[in-house]
Amino acid sequence: MSLGVYIARRLLQMIPVLLGVVFLVFSLLHLVPGDPAMIMAGEQASPVQLERMRERLGLNDPLHIQYLRYLGNALQGDLGSSVRNNRAVTQEIFTSRYWTTLQLATMSIMLAVFIGVTAGVVSAVWRHSLLDTGIMLVALFGLSMPSFWLGIMLIFWFSVQLFWLPAAGWGTLQQAVLPVITLGTAGAAVIARMTRSSMLEVIGQDYIRTARAKGVREAIVINKHALRNALIPVVTVVGLQFGFFLGGSVLTETVFAINGLGRLMVGAIAARDFPVVQGAVLVASVSFMVVNLVVDVTYRFLNKRIELS
Amino acid sequence: MGTSRFAMRRVVVLSLVALFTITGTALFATGQPQRAAATAGQNLIILRNSDIVSLDPHGSNDSPSSAVRSLIYDTLVYFDEDMVMQPGLATEWNLVNATTWEFKLRRGVTFHDGTPFTAEAVKLSLDRVRDPGKASQRAFLFNMVNAVTVVDDFTVRVATDFPFVPILSHLAHDAAGIISPPALRAAGYDEVEPVGTGPFSFVSWNPGDEVVVARYAGFWGDAPTSDTVTFRVVPEESTRLALIERGDAHIAEIMQPASMARVEASRSMSLELFDSLSLNYIGFNVNKAPFDDVRVRQAVSMAIDRQSMIDGIVEGAGVTAIGTISERVFGFHPTLSSLPFDPARARQLLADAGLSRGFTTTLWTNDNPTRIAIAEIVQNNLAEVGITVNIEVLEWGAYLAQTAEGLHDMFILGWVTVTADADYGMYALLHSSNHGAAGNRSFFASARVDELLDLGRREANLAARERLYHEAQEILVNEAPMLNLYHPKWMIALANGVTGYAHHPDNTMLIRNVIVNR
Repeated sequence: MSLGVYIARRLLQMIPVLLGVVFLVFSLLHLVPGDPAMIMAGEQASPVQLERMRERLGLNDPLHIQYLRYLGNALQGDLGSSVRNNRAVTQEIFTSRYWTTLQLATMSIMLAVFIGVTAGVVSAVWRHSLLDTGIMLVALFGLSMPSFWLGIMLIFWFSVQLFWLPAAGWGTLQQAVLPVITLGTAGAAVIARMTRSSMLEVIGQDYIRTARAKGVREAIVINKHALRNALIPVVTVVGLQFGFFLGGSVLTETVFAINGLGRLMVGAIAARDFPVVQGAVLVASVSFMVVNLVVDVTYRFLNKRIELS
Repeated sequence: MGTSRFAMRRVVVLSLVALFTITGTALFATGQPQRAAATAGQNLIILRNSDIVSLDPHGSNDSPSSAVRSLIYDTLVYFDEDMVMQPGLATEWNLVNATTWEFKLRRGVTFHDGTPFTAEAVKLSLDRVRDPGKASQRAFLFNMVNAVTVVDDFTVRVATDFPFVPILSHLAHDAAGIISPPALRAAGYDEVEPVGTGPFSFVSWNPGDEVVVARYAGFWGDAPTSDTVTFRVVPEESTRLALIERGDAHIAEIMQPASMARVEASRSMSLELFDSLSLNYIGFNVNKAPFDDVRVRQAVSMAIDRQSMIDGIVEGAGVTAIGTISERVFGFHPTLSSLPFDPARARQLLADAGLSRGFTTTLWTNDNPTRIAIAEIVQNNLAEVGITVNIEVLEWGAYLAQTAEGLHDMFILGWVTVTADADYGMYALLHSSNHGAAGNRSFFASARVDELLDLGRREANLAARERLYHEAQEILVNEAPMLNLYHPKWMIALANGVTGYAHHPDNTMLIRNVIVNR
């Protein structure tokens, strides 16, 4: 199957998944116990305000009408408007927040891949050496460390004590350093561990022994024969990580006062602003699906033997 | 062939890296613009936990928005930081008849757009907030107003459906901010362009990030000390404090009492505490046994050690509550004391009520951490007098609905007396006409308290009016329909060299006179 047909088919397959996602997102509002209008209007709201809130959200209509309306609007790019500030949900997400999160996620995943793959390969090549143990210890540490704690520590040392870097915000390269380290480290740890075990598996295979027996230089054996084949499970992990980053790296965005998608979502949950929560979840889900597709296509580039079906 | 494919791949990888770098850079280039270079003069930077919601005075009911709006708009009258009513856009006011107030307006005032301020602006602003079509979240503050009449350019009358003296406090609320008529006409029911007569005019708002206002040269009162004021959103408390310590900002709000120690220990900032209009309380269901017996309500009230609660939960940054209203609210009873903490007496009262072996009851809360902590202290305290308390954490919507229906034994909620007047802090919570969702979730009913609260709305003589509320509070201490726990304090971190800062009990930051000495 050619690549084009494959991608087209995958895109078509996304439609039922999308419908399912929209249904779940729509259900969010109705699954929480209690009256959604009262939840949003709050404890000091009068009965008149409650009725207005119900009307505004169309809560007086039958459920299936509400669902079809939500779906129809969503297809036309209308995700409703915030009950807090009346701005369109798409505007809240796409004016700047989504792109901020995309920048943070892209830079962080690049750092994570660079550190993770390097460390994993080094670890695998010199396995059971002191270096290997050291790298895996650091990786375990990085994996276990809560990112908000790392963020707060980085701010304390590099921003408050040493005065090298700004403590918060987004927009300059200096401001990006600490958050990208914070977010990238956790990802790097996972990637390093995955690269190492995958490399070890491949290095033990017959064709690697054959290559070595032929007298191929060790650097080429590792780089070309081993790494390329070992990367397939790594790409899966990288895709998953990137998908999570895109869904909003809430903790990193909160600690560094970065105005991104994750913070929008958590803020909306705290404010019980359902339309915004629904919109953000939907956008994050779609992003995840797109990343997934890219990952599957990447397999094909890494190994032509993989069937696209 | 092998080598050439290897080389090909290298080209692909390199170009991918290049692509990422370029897109990364391009993304940054299209990102938010750099902050404008600081101009000479004082640019005050304030860090808040959450963003504003709306700059339309009729748009939202949250304190970050109110704080910014209070700089942009003026009201007819306002409360100064000592809660004394002061002339704002009105220079004098008096009662024409039982239901009508007349205001003489200040002359020579202009809006930020150059429009002269007249009675028409007052009428348009107050009509819009009450307009059902606008469906303002703040209409409830003005639903007793039936007409706003322009008498001449500098005289306006506000008439209410029934005699309602606290209307003055409602007109001091930031929801009654006066908006420029051209802006109002352009907006209709939509979000209005923020144009007022206040000391600062609107510059920019990047949602989720920051709001900037700048000094208005044509302001009618004393000029403020800062050229610009920036309210920046920094949701993480330790980051807010780090920015103050670095000297990147001047004022930060503190949300977690645990941070007070860090601020006090720091050499680059100081801690300030301010009174609030807020209340945390436990409501009983007075319709349900055993809380229908006043002795049981008194016993529970006397079994709870509220000072330890304040020390434990807000690290001392709170004041024990006597009634529903705090010291800063008009009508507060200065000499009244609440039922004392006295477990022995509580046990005696329970015995008198025929419950000498105690009883088992349920305390509801939502998943607010402070309320859960309160619930645990109550559980411990009541165990000492033989009452077994089961804590149930309800989801917010269910919590509000079921307490409104009266399905609870006891619950924990808060109330903010936004108008700083006893009427707002007592009528909704305690008048028998407001049972359930309207505010009286204890389902308390007392003919005398109802009468006093109704009279309080009518009495124009301030001293007489105060006495009415005092009497109501005296009755309520003994009736104990609610266990009023404490009034939390506002916590603020100030960078070294910042002087002249004050904080209104309604959580508005008073920054007109702040001076930064560095």
